[in-house]
Amino acid sequence: MPNDTTGTPFEWPAKYNEVPKAVFEMDELWPQELDNIFYGEEWHPIVHRSEIPNPGDFKASELGEMPIFAVHGEDGTIRIFQNTCTHRGTSMVTESSGNKKELECPYHRWLFNLEGDLVGCPNSREFTPDFDMKNFSLPKLRTEEFNGLFFVTMSDKTPALKDYFGAEFTERLSRVLGGDGRLKLAGYQKVIYDCNWKAYCDNDGYHAPLLHKAFAMLNWQGGKGSQNVTINGHLSFESELTMPDQVDALKDGSILDFKGTSTSTGSLVLMSFPLTVFTKHLDMLNIRYAYPKGPKGIEVHYAYFSHEDDDDEMVKHRIRQGSNLLGPCGLISMEDASIFSRIDKGNKTPGNAIFQKGVKDEFKLPLNVAQNDESGNLPRWEHYRKVMGIKRAAS
Amino acid sequence: MSNITPSIIHSIEAINRDYICALDKLDMSAWLGCFSQQGTYTFISEENERRGFPIAFMLDDCYERLQDRVTQVLEIQDDSTEHYTTRHFTQLTSVKELGGNRYQANFNYSVYYTQKDTNLSNLLCVGRYEDIVSIKNEKGIFEQRKAVTDTNVIPRYIAYPI
Repeated sequence: MPNDTTGTPFEWPAKYNEVPKAVFEMDELWPQELDNIFYGEEWHPIVHRSEIPNPGDFKASELGEMPIFAVHGEDGTIRIFQNTCTHRGTSMVTESSGNKKELECPYHRWLFNLEGDLVGCPNSREFTPDFDMKNFSLPKLRTEEFNGLFFVTMSDKTPALKDYFGAEFTERLSRVLGGDGRLKLAGYQKVIYDCNWKAYCDNDGYHAPLLHKAFAMLNWQGGKGSQNVTINGHLSFESELTMPDQVDALKDGSILDFKGTSTSTGSLVLMSFPLTVFTKHLDMLNIRYAYPKGPKGIEVHYAYFSHEDDDDEMVKHRIRQGSNLLGPCGLISMEDASIFSRIDKGNKTPGNAIFQKGVKDEFKLPLNVAQNDESGNLPRWEHYRKVMGIKRAAS
Repeated sequence: MSNITPSIIHSIEAINRDYICALDKLDMSAWLGCFSQQGTYTFISEENERRGFPIAFMLDDCYERLQDRVTQVLEIQDDSTEHYTTRHFTQLTSVKELGGNRYQANFNYSVYYTQKDTNLSNLLCVGRYEDIVSIKNEKGIFEQRKAVTDTNVIPRYIAYPI
């Protein structure tokens, strides 16, 4: 483990509710985060089937610093490959999305089918004596699907997806994914936030509604709800909606209409370790794919969906809400976005960030947390600390 | 022979100038004044536009939404935003007559921003405006201003219209 900025070995505070600010600022943690987290025993969401619905559709992505891409095969199967030719390493797709009948490397014209098999390579009679095309398929990542959402992991040891997330998280995730995963992509909002990736995930998943001046101006009171955390750092939060009859602050209050069937499930916010947020706010279905740009900066792709069974009015409503409430310009989320970089700036000071709300014993990890407790973030930090092998100071 | 007269070009350039000056001064009242009662404003990525995805960064599809955009900028988000000032640079690229004194006009734009805490200037986004301008008594007004940004990944959250 590297030294901290004062030259002493980096150590975690003894109290579970304290997070050293240096963890946001030490660039030297990044290589280890890549190995232990992004290439370690974790699942990372890459693509929903509705983003690449047709054979040949592909989506380029990243896992840590590794370029990967998902492609919809002729056989209907979605596979996720490292984005590299098995010959000399040239990247196979260069655009963020598109459709291809086959995958050809331009360098030496090696040709792969959509299933990743090498099906052609010029001059192969002059290759090594034991050359066999069967041994040169595109490198495929271990993949699992849940409600149309495909996750990858670099480790064979990562538990099966449902065991990894647990029943409660999985059930809530299914509802963000429309209940049955039959979604239609409505589009993306993509942005770079000026902060370490951990400052993003520590604040985007769930935070005190006090931040949101918009809530107060819209007479938007939080309803009853619950928060669930897992020992391996996943968090899910659910609350009912108590929308005001009238929104005086806005001329067009319809932007806040809730057309769903049950106000008890009006708001779902999930964060899977290490950094992906899934939300169902009002009628918006939203996955926030997040890509750290090294130790500084994070690129977030907000993907919005409608459901295949939606009528035209519902589709339009979801689009109006997604385009005005969430994302990097949204009435609600922009307040979040401003906090990411302000926290990152503030973390350049010595000491610890100290969690308070919901902390009953500073020397125990809280696993039973109430709806608005900020202590729900602490299991994720403890999982991070353990996975990174950072020693906790003696109490 | 084109029916696009110098007077029409002048009117279109003038409403665009009013618009970008309003934003560079963050005069949201003047910004709202650039739109007709049927006016709409959209700020959308080129990727979504090209692929037929309707999600936008900002979607003010009626006059009430335009009014609410003013409220959002001036009242709701003011205390949490890291404020910045902008400079809009535009270039008229085409004008087409739609009939009824309405014109489809396209501009290229680039917008630089200077963040108030750092005083550093950078490119915020670059793209094109797809406008519908109504002209009456040589005065133009936007029925539609759609800012399509080539900057599909914006470099920070954007607090004000483009």
